[in-house]
Amino acid sequence: MSVLHRTEWRAVGTTCAAAVTAHSNDERGAMRALGAAQEEVAACERELSRFDPASDLSRLNAAGGRWTPVGPRLLEALGLALRAREESAGRFDPTVLPALVAAGYDRSFELLEEREARWADDWRAGTAIELDPRNGRARLEAGSSVDLGGIGKGYAAGRALDSMLASSPALAGGIVDLGGDIAVRGESPEGGPWLVAVADPRRTGETLAVLALDGGGIATSGRDARRFGPARSLHHLIDPETGESALAGPLTVTVVAPDAAAAEVHATTLAIAGLGEAEAHVSATPRISAVYVPQIGPAVPLGRLPLVTERLVVRAA
Amino acid sequence: MQRVWVVVLSVWAMLAIVAVLAWSPRPAAPLPAGSAQTVVVRGRGGKQRLVVVKAPAHATTATSAAVH
Repeated sequence: MSVLHRTEWRAVGTTCAAAVTAHSNDERGAMRALGAAQEEVAACERELSRFDPASDLSRLNAAGGRWTPVGPRLLEALGLALRAREESAGRFDPTVLPALVAAGYDRSFELLEEREARWADDWRAGTAIELDPRNGRARLEAGSSVDLGGIGKGYAAGRALDSMLASSPALAGGIVDLGGDIAVRGESPEGGPWLVAVADPRRTGETLAVLALDGGGIATSGRDARRFGPARSLHHLIDPETGESALAGPLTVTVVAPDAAAAEVHATTLAIAGLGEAEAHVSATPRISAVYVPQIGPAVPLGRLPLVTERLVVRAA
Repeated sequence: MQRVWVVVLSVWAMLAIVAVLAWSPRPAAPLPAGSAQTVVVRGRGGKQRLVVVKAPAHATTATSAAVH
C-alpha cells in the first residue's frame, strides 16, 4: 500500500514543500528522501541567492568583471539562463538586476521599504556572462550583475526532486514545491498522476483548474504579488527592452513544461507578453502549455494543458 | 448468402470502430478516481457558471518571486 510522506519548511524566501509516494513499510526511505530534498535546496540557495552576501552569485556580482570560482549549480543555472536568453531573443534576461535594484528591489521582499522609484539610466540589456566549467569559474562583464529570480527556484525544485528520488530508488514518485515553482515525477499515493491546482489570482483560495502530471514542472509568474514602491505601483517583472516594470502582460501566467526550470523561464517570458505574443510563443514552443490570466477578463488556456477538468473554470461576470 | 455478408460487414465495421478508438489521441493524464468534480450553476442573466467543488490537489501554484 502506498502512502504520502510530506514535509514543509522555509527556504529561498518562501514556503517550500516536498512529498513522496512510498510503500507503507518504507518510512525510513521516505524520510531520507525528504531530507535529501531539503539539503539540495539549501545547497542551491548557498550558490544562487543574491541576498546572501556569501553566496557564489553575490561574490560573482561583486567581482567587478574578474574571473570568480563558483559552484557547479551556479554554473549550470547560468548556462540554462544564457540559453534561455538566446532562445527568447532577449525577452528573458538574467542581467536585469541593475534595473531591479535601481527600482528599489534591493533586498529580500519582506524587507522592502516604500521609496521613490529610480530607473537605471545607464542600464543596458544582454551584458556578457562567461562560463568556464572546466575550471569551475565564471566572469561577468564589468558593471553587470545577475539575478536568477526567473529560473533559480524552478532549477532548485528540479534538482531537489532528482536528489529526493535518487536517495531512495524504491519510491514511486515525488513532488517538490518551492513557493509555487513545482517539479513532479512518478505516481501520487492514489496511484495516478500528481494533481496541481492553478490558483485563481483574483479569488484567494479558489482554483482555475486542476492539472494532472506524472512528470515535468509548473511555474507561475505575474504582477498580482510582490508589488512594491509608492502605493505598490511597481512590480518585479522588468522588461529587458526598457529596464522598467513591464506594462504589457497578464495578471498571472502558469506554465507547464518538461522541467521546472524551463517552466519558470517560460512563465517569466510570458509574464511580460500580451495575449497575442503569448499565443505565438506557446504555439512555437514544443511541449509547453499555459494558463494566461489577463489583467482584465477571463483566463485563457494556451496549448494542450493536462487538465483534470475538461476546461478552465469560468465564472459569471 | 446475404446474411453471411451482413455478418462479415458488421464484424469489419466493429473492428474499424475499435481501431479508431484505439488510435484516438488520449488525454495527457488519466482522470484519477475521486478527483476534481465540477458543477454547473446558472448565474445572473442565465450565464453559465462552472465551479470546481472538490479539488484534492497535492500542490497549488502561486506567483513566483523574482528573486530569492
